[in-house]
Amino acid sequence: MNMFSSLMLASLSVLTLPIMLSILNTHKNSTYPHHVKNIISYAFITSLIPTMMFIHSGQETIISNWHWMTMQTLKLSLSFKLDYFSMIFVPVALFVTWSIMEFSLWYMHSDPYITRFFKYLLTFLITMMILVTANNLFQLFIGWEGVGIMSFLLIGWWYGRTDANTAALQAILYNRIGDIGFIMAMAWFLSNTNTWDLQQIFMLDPNLTNLPLLGLLLAATGKSAQFGLHPWLPSAMEGPTPVSALLHSSTMVVAGVFLLIRFHPLMENNKTIQSLTLCLGAITTLFTAICALTQNDIKKIIAFSTSSQLGLMIVTIGINQPYLAFLHICTHAFFKAMLFMCSGSIIHSLNDEQDIRKMGGLFNAMPFTTTSLIIGSLALTGMPFLTGFYSKDLIIETANTSYTNAWALLMTLIATSLTAVYSTRIIFFALLGQPRFLPLTSINENNPFLINSIKRLLIGSIFAGFFISNNIYPTTIPEMTMPIYMKLTALAVTILGFTLALELSLITHNLKLEHSTNVFKFSNLLGYYPTIMHRLPPLANLSMSQKSASLLLDSIWLENILPKSISQFQMKTSILISTQKGQIKLYFLSFLITLTLSMLLFNLHE
Amino acid sequence: MLKIIIPTIMLMPLTWLSKKNMIWINTTTYSLLISLISLSLLNQPSNNSLNFSLMFFSDPLSAPLLVLTTWLLPLMLMASQHHLSKEPLIRKKLYITMLTMLQTFLIMTFTATELISFYILFEATLVPTLIIITRWGNQTERLNAGLYFLFYTLMGSLPLLVALISIQNLTGSLNFLLIQYWNQALPDSWSNIFLWLACMMAFMVKMPLYGLHLWLPKAHVEAPIAGSMVMAAILLKLGGYGMLRITTMLNPQTSFMAYPFLMLSLWGMIMTSSICLRQTDLKSLIAYSSVSHMALVIVAVLIQTPWSYMGATALMIAHGLTSSMLFCLANSNYERTHSRTMILARGLQTLLPLMAAWWLLASLTNLALPPSINLIGELFVVMSSFSWSNITIILMGANITITALYSLYMLITTQRGKYTHHINSIKPSFTRENALMALHMTPLLLLSLNPKIILGFTY
Repeated sequence: MNMFSSLMLASLSVLTLPIMLSILNTHKNSTYPHHVKNIISYAFITSLIPTMMFIHSGQETIISNWHWMTMQTLKLSLSFKLDYFSMIFVPVALFVTWSIMEFSLWYMHSDPYITRFFKYLLTFLITMMILVTANNLFQLFIGWEGVGIMSFLLIGWWYGRTDANTAALQAILYNRIGDIGFIMAMAWFLSNTNTWDLQQIFMLDPNLTNLPLLGLLLAATGKSAQFGLHPWLPSAMEGPTPVSALLHSSTMVVAGVFLLIRFHPLMENNKTIQSLTLCLGAITTLFTAICALTQNDIKKIIAFSTSSQLGLMIVTIGINQPYLAFLHICTHAFFKAMLFMCSGSIIHSLNDEQDIRKMGGLFNAMPFTTTSLIIGSLALTGMPFLTGFYSKDLIIETANTSYTNAWALLMTLIATSLTAVYSTRIIFFALLGQPRFLPLTSINENNPFLINSIKRLLIGSIFAGFFISNNIYPTTIPEMTMPIYMKLTALAVTILGFTLALELSLITHNLKLEHSTNVFKFSNLLGYYPTIMHRLPPLANLSMSQKSASLLLDSIWLENILPKSISQFQMKTSILISTQKGQIKLYFLSFLITLTLSMLLFNLHE
Repeated sequence: MLKIIIPTIMLMPLTWLSKKNMIWINTTTYSLLISLISLSLLNQPSNNSLNFSLMFFSDPLSAPLLVLTTWLLPLMLMASQHHLSKEPLIRKKLYITMLTMLQTFLIMTFTATELISFYILFEATLVPTLIIITRWGNQTERLNAGLYFLFYTLMGSLPLLVALISIQNLTGSLNFLLIQYWNQALPDSWSNIFLWLACMMAFMVKMPLYGLHLWLPKAHVEAPIAGSMVMAAILLKLGGYGMLRITTMLNPQTSFMAYPFLMLSLWGMIMTSSICLRQTDLKSLIAYSSVSHMALVIVAVLIQTPWSYMGATALMIAHGLTSSMLFCLANSNYERTHSRTMILARGLQTLLPLMAAWWLLASLTNLALPPSINLIGELFVVMSSFSWSNITIILMGANITITALYSLYMLITTQRGKYTHHINSIKPSFTRENALMALHMTPLLLLSLNPKIILGFTY
């Protein structure tokens, strides 16, 4: 047990080595990306040891290293919380990042700034590790904002493109709205519990009003792209594919869910927040699944499916099963990262073609990618004994047998069925049938960086769920017994989705869509949400800033009332008074009269 | 304290006696040495003040501001080199003399023990600043800007003189060190309300409070780079410093007199941030962002809790360095594109990658990325205003969001996108400029390791 904390710290601090090296500038530029990739694999292997120890003994640890400052009664120090959540998540995140780094070596090999790209990815990983292992809210906030800024930089990687810049700014905007919630929660905890340390907050178990929990929920909504603050996630697909695979599927976007999981000791007894969370998750999972149905951009579909899965995690928190939600975070990381990498492989091979209507027949040209994509999709839909099954099936079962909001549960079930539908759609259009891409594209997936990285995640997508769910101790007890139809519901709706989608696709394959229906428009235009929310409020806000703040208040009122009116007044009076006519005699006469009068008056007075 | 003041005064003969090719290097090195001496003041062994003489003292509140002042002079000298390169030698010397004079006055203002001498020096700083703005500004609007600058500040601060004389009559002393022991509540009367107003308005105009801020964007836009830097970094902080000092003797009037000004600041911070969203002029954007940040300081000072005082002090230092750095960056753009318009400088990242890194860092500190000291300042202010009234979190949150938006809007407009043709042949960034940015950034980063030295009184 002695080596537990030191090994964990070693695996965390080894990540900072390449950043330090880049300051010293001793590395050769060409080998730097490989170096980063190796470091991450070392960190992964090192972190496995404390994780094994933790699984063996189940002992939570808190490390407090460096006293930062004390203000009045608040002590802030660098402190790591090595509990169940961080101990399981760190190796998973490192494993996924390792694969994605290797994938980026292939995907970004022609980029002149590949070194900088790897530095960004590494910095992102470090901030994510800070977020996961933080033991106080301030440290958590460092990681929280850090991943946000790194996502800004990485989405805007191709900075010459307007779309990339817009998407990056959009991500920051939505994240910042969520941050308001986080800061409010911080302020509330500070003024009511006088501490930011997690264990102290839980220990004090403050008499909660809904305010701080609402703040945390808002924060999670922003970071995890829940309904209302969701549009940034699909827009973020403007970034390079490795970025989508790392940030916008497996690590950064689950930070919001992770935050709620961290705070579940405060949430589990608060019914209002629970139902709010449940409904929010249910709306998100259904809405984004509907949006995914009619998209044609392969990355957009996967992005919406990520959003939908995030909604499912929030639903799980809403039914008071944070451990299940956490399990889903871990399993989801494997297959979703792999799905993005497969789509990256396809996109790269087809000369940056992302439209699934222009793909087709790839199962002949890219057998390995096809295999991985299909396994990933099956894992996503919860096919038995693949990774997704172990968490997703459990979530749906628990939801079915719980007696909370039936509407939300129904929404979740429909969304589960739709998962199968859009997965089928990707497979059907991209992989099966006849090729619809240009015949001259050179398709080549035989690069060891590509093959190895996907293979590693492929193995993860098949077995990781089994391993993780077998090795963890049950904390909140899931429902053990249920009627057989309940047990089979998840499977049934998924199979229903598969068959329906396959049949519909086969039937309509050669038909032309004459008039798009309203339902189609709703889904294809993302529920009109961006059309409304990205047009009207910014217009109102910006015209308010221009017309009322800048022109009316600053340029007209404030400038005219104070300085200009005063100078105008002075000018007018001085012109009025100093209208000289040159009548010197008259002036002297009046002066004389005044003088004599005053002297007379004074004399009389005496 | 004379060991800082006299060397600073001796900078003037150094300037005038230096040879033509040595004036920049001599003055910069020498002023950097002075700032190194002043660093020792940061070591405040206790919360009591270090009294050097009857005239001068320093305590945890004034020491960080003092160090910031001395730190900024070499930076101003470095920043001004290019735009003065076409001037004759004598005017360069005059310019440096003005900056040195301003520095001397500022040092004495921050360390004065007497309120009257504080007041006189506070006013004295106007003179060199005015000369810098109106003599070395770039356009004819500089005269107007100088007029605004002078008259707003004078109109605000003349009542303070009257108030100070009346306080002198009342208490018999205007010594900061004595006043803190004179904890007698002012009687509740109309005249005392006017006393409060007279004392506070001088500093509120200087900060500036929303509504009285009009001089600031004008002066900032028209001033030469050193003028913008010193105004954003230090002159605005004079207001905050004065408020922090004088509120101790204005109880209990502050508790109810604060409300309208709190509201005005909260409202003004949203308004000025919104204006930033629509700015096309880079310097004007940074100036309005200063107004918005200073509104936070006003809120913090008026709330009057230990946390808010700490936040106000930290935010002043952090904003001093950040906004000064942003002005330097804007100036380096201006020297290349010869325009303050942001859209004309777009896509600079492709041509000047290292400068883009500085832009990124400056924008990130401006939007208060943790764990920078800007965040510490803002966070403390938000915390104290939240515990003062929960509703303020809506306005604070909106401001946080808009701040992030305009900072990144500025970053994206100037650095990202495709570069335009007219910047094809610009000069690469000089080592001088990179060093200048590094000298701004290093203190910001180092201070976040130990923010306690800039938190003022930690109680």
